[in-house]
Amino acid sequence: MGKITRRLLLGSVATVVAGGAVYGGSRFACQFVPRHHPDFFSLLDLAPDNPDTRRIGELVVAEAAPAGFDAFAAALRLRPLTGEAATTDCASTRRRLVQDQCAIDFAEGRSVVIDGWVLSETEANLYAAKLLRPSIA
Amino acid sequence: MIGDLLSGEAPAELTGDVCVVGSGPAGVTLALELAKKGRQVILLESGGEQYEEDSQALYEGRITGHQNIDVAASRLRQFGGTSGHWTGMCAPLDPVDFTPRPDMPDHGWPIGRADLDPFYARAQPYLDLGPYRYDFDYWRPNAPGPALPLDPTKVFTTVYQQSPPTRFALKYMETVRAEPKISCWLHANLVDIALNAAGSAVERIEARALDGHSVSVRANRFVIACGGVENARILLNCRKQRPEGLGNENGLVGRYYTDHMTIETTLVALDDEIDATLYDEQHTIGDTVLNFGLKIAPDEIVARGLNNNAAFLIPQFDDETFNDEFRNYGWIAFSEMVKAFAHGRVPERFGERYCEVVDDLGRVTTGAYRHVMRKVKPRSRPVAFKLRQDAEQSPNPDSRVTLIDEVDPLGFQRVALDWRVTDEDLLRLRRTHQFIGEQLGAAGLGRMRLGISDPPDHDIAFSGYHHMGTTRMHADPKRGVVDADCRLHSVANLHMAGSSVFTTAGCANPTLTITALAIRLADHLAATLA
Ligand SMILES: Cc1cc2nc3c(=O)[nH]c(=O)nc-3n(C[C@H](O)[C@H](O)[C@H](O)COP(=O)(O)OP(=O)(O)OC[C@H]3O[C@@H](n4cnc5c(N)ncnc54)[C@H](O)[C@@H]3O)c2cc1C
Repeated sequence: MGKITRRLLLGSVATVVAGGAVYGGSRFACQFVPRHHPDFFSLLDLAPDNPDTRRIGELVVAEAAPAGFDAFAAALRLRPLTGEAATTDCASTRRRLVQDQCAIDFAEGRSVVIDGWVLSETEANLYAAKLLRPSIA
Repeated sequence: MIGDLLSGEAPAELTGDVCVVGSGPAGVTLALELAKKGRQVILLESGGEQYEEDSQALYEGRITGHQNIDVAASRLRQFGGTSGHWTGMCAPLDPVDFTPRPDMPDHGWPIGRADLDPFYARAQPYLDLGPYRYDFDYWRPNAPGPALPLDPTKVFTTVYQQSPPTRFALKYMETVRAEPKISCWLHANLVDIALNAAGSAVERIEARALDGHSVSVRANRFVIACGGVENARILLNCRKQRPEGLGNENGLVGRYYTDHMTIETTLVALDDEIDATLYDEQHTIGDTVLNFGLKIAPDEIVARGLNNNAAFLIPQFDDETFNDEFRNYGWIAFSEMVKAFAHGRVPERFGERYCEVVDDLGRVTTGAYRHVMRKVKPRSRPVAFKLRQDAEQSPNPDSRVTLIDEVDPLGFQRVALDWRVTDEDLLRLRRTHQFIGEQLGAAGLGRMRLGISDPPDHDIAFSGYHHMGTTRMHADPKRGVVDADCRLHSVANLHMAGSSVFTTAGCANPTLTITALAIRLADHLAATLA
């Protein structure tokens, strides 16, 4: 095993400091770069997670085959209020926007019957997207 | 007066202005109204003052179509008729029920709701109901809770009134007995309707008791008011002069049998903040007992090709104490017995009811236990609601009453009842539910899970015991048995009373309309009698 020299020690510290600075700077800079993913996934968290909603999700996915996660996510982003919800940080605003979008879907005749449930298209897409949500390691 | 054919005291021939056959709500109302107008009425009733096995057995027949129905047990052959059985839910038919619909063959009456309104108003007191108001706005100021905030041009809150229920025997038997203008004969079964020599009008009716005593009745006008199945059976059996049966020149008598499909299914889950008190039980406002339900607006019914329907919200509880699934025949018999004993009376048909209770002791015990517990436990919030309805069927000529070879002790052929429940009607109801579900969603009130599958399971539909349509009213003799005055198109002085004349049945329970039509017919007869 090699000897720990003063040079090696200083080099390591400098590397850690520089790395930290780069990371801190990046974190700071990234605040200003719009990224929708985390908020979009929070949108999916609005959908309850229970056997009924999972089954609905499965049936929606089966019916829409071969559509994958991106298709459902795109459909959700396409509707004005869920699109807005996907970029909103505030959880209660997000919830309200999704509920309003569901109500508008019903009023405008965008409803579906899945496993007997009379649902808005938005809900159906939410359950499907939630089921297919890619795992973020 | 009330006499008894069995006594042998009846004269060989009776005469009056009008002969009314059948003393259920239709016959009694008609007789009382005619008497009020000074007309002499002969009222013939097959049964006695109370339930009797041998009279009741005259109703027996065969079920050949949808099986969730019966012909005999659901009707009563005694003074007061089936009002001894009924539960008392009342509402008028809606204007949309009377209007012909291009999308639905054979739909629509030759009269409109406005023609019946004054008679509905007069029918209310006969059934111990409140004011003739079935619009929620009228009751709103005193309602125990708000109506669901739905778009009323799509789905609105409907009102049904609850009769005590009026038992015509209890309420009107003594009035009939004391009425000098009414001559009522018990155990007098109509066995023949004899036409005059020209075959154009009824000359006399023959009635016979089971012991052979008989009587002949002559009158200016004759009215058959024997119930929705029996009215057709009588016309089909009386065929000495017209081999196809009376009024049956176009083969329509007995056809278009319709019933309400009693169905309890489809779950509604409302958001926690929603106040549904208005819908989840009966309420008394002033002296009137009311039920509130949800109906689809008439324009939507027509535009979407639906049938009419009133859906009532039956609460479902996590805590079983508040659930009502123990209510079946055993429980109904038990509550009737308790009510009768509480009034110091021995219940009618005691033996039958007692056995119903014994057969169903488990449920009766559950019911009794829950009723006690409900007095001490605070009522929990329902977790969901089921939709219960007496759903309309569209007119169907293949749904029908026909005669079979078997005869009753009086020589009348018995009936086969071929009640048709169709995929189409069940799917219409599914679409009705779905539309309500969409409106609940649009208003942000909750969600629905449909209980009617596609293709539908016919077994979910039970008879509402509302026998209708078998001598339907139509302006065209080729399309109906009676005209707008409930008179047989082809017999000058023979009229039908009761739900057999309903052209379309809507979703309202029939007895209020039966009573209103009886009053209307009485006015017409009194006015047109020489
Ligand atoms: C369990 C049950 C619950 C119901 N609940 C409701 C409800 O909530 N609301 C509602 O509106 N309706 C209800 N109904 C229906 C209601 O009972 C009928 O609509 C009503 O009784 C019909 O009246 P009617 O006078 O036309 O016929 P009926 O009441 O059936 O009377 C017919 C009469 O004719 C007599 N008769 C029959 N044949 C002959 C003959 N050959 N000669 C002489 N007399 C004869 C019979 O003995 C009987 O007295 C219910 C029915 C049942 C069975």
